[in-house]
Amino acid sequence: MKKSYVIGGAVIILALTMAMYSFKSTLTSYVTVREAKASKQSVQVAGIVVKGTDRYDLKSKNLLFTLREDGGDEMKVEYDGPRPGNFDNVTKVVAIGKYEPQKQTFLAKELLVKCPTKYEGRVKGE
Amino acid sequence: MTNLGELTIWLGLIAICISSGCYWVLNSREDDTLALNVARYSFTGFVAFMTLASIFLMLAILKHEFIYNYVTSYSSRDLPLQYLISSFWAGQEGSFLLWVLLGSWLGIFLMHQTGEMEPQVMFIYNLNNLFLTILLIKQSPFKMLAAAPADGQGLNMLLQDPWMVIHPPVVFLGYAAFTVPFAFAIAGLWRREYDKWIRPALPWTVFAFLSLGAGIIIGGYWSYKVLGWGGYWGWDPVENASLLPWLAGAALMHGMILQQSRHKLRKTNFILAALSFLLIIYCTFLTRSGILADFSVHSFQDLGITGWLVFFMFGFLAITLWFFGTRVREIPISEKGAAFSYFSREFGFIAAMIVLSLSAVLTGVGTSAPLITRLLEKASKVSTKFYVDTNLPLALLMVLLLSFVPLLAWGKNDFSKLSRKLIWACLGAVVSGVITLYFGYPGIAVLLLSIFAGAAVGMNLQLTIKLIRKKITMSAGAIAHLGVGLMFVGIVASSAYDSSDKVQLAQGTPQSTLGYNLKFNGPEFYQEPRGVRLDLPVDVKKGNTEFIARPDIRSENNPDGQGRRFSRPHIRRGLLSDLYLSPVDFKPGGEENRSAGKQLELKKQEKIKIQDYEITFVGFDVSGMMGQKEGQEVSVGADLLVSYKSENPVNVKPIITKVQEGWSASSVRLPGPVEAFVTLAQIRASDGLIVLDYQGIPSGPGKSAEETPPSFIAEVSIKPGMTVLWLGTFLILLGACISIARRWPSP
Repeated sequence: MKKSYVIGGAVIILALTMAMYSFKSTLTSYVTVREAKASKQSVQVAGIVVKGTDRYDLKSKNLLFTLREDGGDEMKVEYDGPRPGNFDNVTKVVAIGKYEPQKQTFLAKELLVKCPTKYEGRVKGE
Repeated sequence: MTNLGELTIWLGLIAICISSGCYWVLNSREDDTLALNVARYSFTGFVAFMTLASIFLMLAILKHEFIYNYVTSYSSRDLPLQYLISSFWAGQEGSFLLWVLLGSWLGIFLMHQTGEMEPQVMFIYNLNNLFLTILLIKQSPFKMLAAAPADGQGLNMLLQDPWMVIHPPVVFLGYAAFTVPFAFAIAGLWRREYDKWIRPALPWTVFAFLSLGAGIIIGGYWSYKVLGWGGYWGWDPVENASLLPWLAGAALMHGMILQQSRHKLRKTNFILAALSFLLIIYCTFLTRSGILADFSVHSFQDLGITGWLVFFMFGFLAITLWFFGTRVREIPISEKGAAFSYFSREFGFIAAMIVLSLSAVLTGVGTSAPLITRLLEKASKVSTKFYVDTNLPLALLMVLLLSFVPLLAWGKNDFSKLSRKLIWACLGAVVSGVITLYFGYPGIAVLLLSIFAGAAVGMNLQLTIKLIRKKITMSAGAIAHLGVGLMFVGIVASSAYDSSDKVQLAQGTPQSTLGYNLKFNGPEFYQEPRGVRLDLPVDVKKGNTEFIARPDIRSENNPDGQGRRFSRPHIRRGLLSDLYLSPVDFKPGGEENRSAGKQLELKKQEKIKIQDYEITFVGFDVSGMMGQKEGQEVSVGADLLVSYKSENPVNVKPIITKVQEGWSASSVRLPGPVEAFVTLAQIRASDGLIVLDYQGIPSGPGKSAEETPPSFIAEVSIKPGMTVLWLGTFLILLGACISIARRWPSP
């Protein structure tokens, strides 16, 4: 039984080390537009969709829009995926991906949208 | 008006307190029949009050009593019956009520199965009910508005799907059921009976595993069928919240079987029973406290119960630790340590439990990343790659174990005798490996996963056939494990070998992609209660098969002025692969311009002609930015000269104003008889450029040579193995059903 503990322990420690490494390398943190433009890693940026800028590029068939964050900094975002259901009326979007300096565009792999929630009305009305 | 719903919940709280108190008394005075009767009757009272409260809520929804905030928020007059019913559990408050309700019903069955352990089991079980009832009072679905609105806000369109009607009840049944093994485990520690709790608790554990598993699978199936992103699992916190306790529960299930047959792992099973229950509270905390609000597509918002959730989490943790800590020294370790062998079913079970637990822990660490990193620096989340990286090797180990462990006996095994029986497993491995390589080398880990999954399928298929012939109730494990193998075959096929292409389909023009010939037949509009549905029928041809795909885009206008758009894919299922056609964006053609509106870009001094209009962009008007005082709105205008049918040009000045969140623009009417408008959509001062939205400019009949037909961009994908995947998940659940049937105590 002793030997089994050693082997089992070693396997688990190896697994945890690998997991730790993966954890660190896949962390995406919230950054500002300016930080995103400088970063080589995958990051997430929150902001609003500048009205009227969202359209589908006919060549790449990706969704393009301009994202503006609180401070007023803007960047172009390209997203390879369907337009989120409530995209037209979102208060905030979170784009997750990497900035591509050559295209001067943020290539989003994931797009989270925050719609005006029903809960907000409740808190005020209570 | 008295609030009957809230009143019944309060009465339920009183009943559950009395019941818990009596069970507490019974703990020390076992033959106090009065206390026993009061405990049981008041529990029954609790069940009755919760049922009554649920009936109140259901009636309020069915009768459209919009005075209740919950009814207003999640239902409306136009909903059909099945979605009125499902608005009961569309929101947080209602789903808590559902959780309590299902938990109370399960308690009725549980009460009569516990025998001597009843006081302790029911006391712990009641603690959980008490906790949920307090949360229910904190966020009651019966809160009233000052005045009832005429209609409700309706149910989120995405939830208007038959699978979403049954998904929450199934998940919460699983959530409620995982309390039972926990209650039994603590009762076992409490009574210092370290083996006796296993037999009655095991069928409940399998039941909890079954219903939570069914809930997870239904959720995945819905996501694939409705959301249109082409996947079935996104490692979102809300999904993980049900996966974590499920994985821990699967480990617990195996541990309990091992303890029942080999009298081992007593301590481990206590820990696993506690872990799967605590994970449910922890995950409820993660998804309902709003703590992950910035990191999930659909985390719930904070409703002010975070404190309670944390309190209960630590409360239950403390109870577990106290009982475990005070008993751990006297829990007997395995009776005969000698019979252990590395090449045995016992070792296979332990390895499987380690794999399942590790998967739960690592996925849990990933899901908690925003919490962990918040303590160190900035809150961050891990990308889905983390989950794949960590779970892929574990999945590999799991199917490897499944490809030979089912053959082994508990004790010592002779390899030479068994090797002949491994033929099916080897056959499965070879077939799967060859097919995988035929379609392309997917990387070593995925190749191994597919080979071992094939072996697991072969092994367990043979075993299933053998055991079904012998006695069907013995085949539970084999069927479930066959399902696991098939599921991983499906996962490999669908994630490593899917092919996808985006095409723009114009009406009437055939296009071919991925071997399919597609022709868009033109949009069809249908009026729906809250908006329109746009059907996009496409003729699909490949060889001899021909069918019409009908993906759609639905748009919904809510009374609160929010519009939403949802694309629904069309899925053509096949045994080997699915064709998945998802609309991405619809472009109405030339004739649709009038209503749809369009955009144009104008440089300074540029003149542009659209139909009867001539628009010149003269320059910016920045007077709104000058002399700007604090708090005053900033606005920018664009001076335009517009002439209609070569009449004298008229000055038009659309303005864009900076408001709190972004910019707001107002439309300006253009000269001429037609109701046409322009809006300043965007200014790019650095480029001396403006973007105008224009609406209502008719396209003159025949005048415009390049009238475009309606078209839409579609994502077309071929997803192999989906049918195999769903079949696999079905078999896992079927195996669990058979296992329950075998283990359920006969009355």
